[in-house]
Amino acid sequence: MNLSAITLHVPDQSKIAGRLDFVMVASGALLILFLWAHLLLVSSVVLSPAIMNALAHFFEATYMAQVGGPAIFVVMVVHFILAARKMPFEQGEWKAFVTHGRMLRHKDTTLWLVQVISAIVILVLASVHVFTVLSDLPISAAKSAARVQGGTWLSLYLVLLPMAEMHVGIGFYRIGIKYGFISSARRAWYQRAEVVMMGGFVGIGLLTLARLYWLSI
Amino acid sequence: MNRKLHIKIFRYNPLDPDSRPHMQSFHINEYDSMTLFIALTQIRDEMDPSLKFDFCCRAGICGSCGMVINGRPGLACHTQTKDLPAEITLHPLPVFKLLGDLSVDTGTWFRDVGTRIEAWVHGNDAAFDPAAEEVRMENALAEEIFELDRCIECGCCIAACGTARMREDFLGAASIARIARFAMDPRDLRSDDAYYDVIGNDQGVFGCMGLLGCQDVCPKHLPLQDQLGIMRRMLALHSVKGILPKAVIAALKHKGHKGCCHEKH
Repeated sequence: MNLSAITLHVPDQSKIAGRLDFVMVASGALLILFLWAHLLLVSSVVLSPAIMNALAHFFEATYMAQVGGPAIFVVMVVHFILAARKMPFEQGEWKAFVTHGRMLRHKDTTLWLVQVISAIVILVLASVHVFTVLSDLPISAAKSAARVQGGTWLSLYLVLLPMAEMHVGIGFYRIGIKYGFISSARRAWYQRAEVVMMGGFVGIGLLTLARLYWLSI
Repeated sequence: MNRKLHIKIFRYNPLDPDSRPHMQSFHINEYDSMTLFIALTQIRDEMDPSLKFDFCCRAGICGSCGMVINGRPGLACHTQTKDLPAEITLHPLPVFKLLGDLSVDTGTWFRDVGTRIEAWVHGNDAAFDPAAEEVRMENALAEEIFELDRCIECGCCIAACGTARMREDFLGAASIARIARFAMDPRDLRSDDAYYDVIGNDQGVFGCMGLLGCQDVCPKHLPLQDQLGIMRRMLALHSVKGILPKAVIAALKHKGHKGCCHEKH
């Protein structure tokens, strides 16, 4: 009989810590790939609204939007809960981390706070975004343009875009570090790549928003 | 050269009820190849004999003189004043128990984590034959083990770790590199399960947030980043054995000897 299920006096021999860590990292990697793909697909409107409409139609005809959309939302929430285990929600932890960051003035340490804050912003704003888009299918360039031109939505996207890109950019680098895919010899190269990618994707995003903003409906 | 150094030192004696934490300024003349250790010794000899700071070897071997130098944990004896601005601020290492001024107790902390991770070779004691010749080891492997054994337990990696500062029970880079040293050692007969039991938790490898303060301050330049990655991947994959297809685990697995080695990728 496994007594660790009944009393905490018996140490748990389960593999749960490693599995949760693996799920945290794997869900993070999946969300990174999703977000990059998502942004590139939406940016097709820059080339032509017809291309964006055709792509949207493809994802709806194959039910990838109807099933995949909510699935990605669930993955995001699971990823948040797993990663939030590390967040400094207690005031003492927050104080310790901020004091530490101020003392060390160390880029990777500071960027972690950026990840924590952006995570909470993304959780709220992306939920709003997902709900709105998925409750009003099909997706079309005209509808997206109407939203962006409608005032308050533009401000939401102008916050969500850089937050999301920063979060996945830093997250991409940190997964590589934590699991040893990025070696110390190549760390500086990946740090530069991280910045270039973030800038690039924010740039594509802004271009897309601009195109939608000035698209005649 | 020959600058006038302004050294601001944290002063506090926790055992004295009248003592209040404060910063005290000292001004000394810099000279060629002066280290921070020399500067502190001069201050203690000539200005204030009550100044507490630890030292022993003066050569970066004993790990006693770790302190926070202008915000960065480092060894006083390893730090030349010419590499610092003329104004130098010194604090005791965080995380560890403060003994007074710049002196902290790293020993109790390291003894505690050493016990928790069982930092000794787990051999088959019953089969040990004191008369037999020692088992030989490949030189390349011995060098890899020695690379991690160079740790002097100065505590700089712990003091530079945001996770260790938030969570008291976090084992830190030194402990994880230490267990890696045993994982590499063929004389240590522990199974992957046994290593998992001691560091496969949120106080060990899975608690690390990849901030890499440890890697960036280690005065002995231990390969902490690479080693943390190797151990975390090894134990995470161990935990999903039987769940993920074998081919996926094999593809993700770190290539090379168990717990080893550092490559460029």
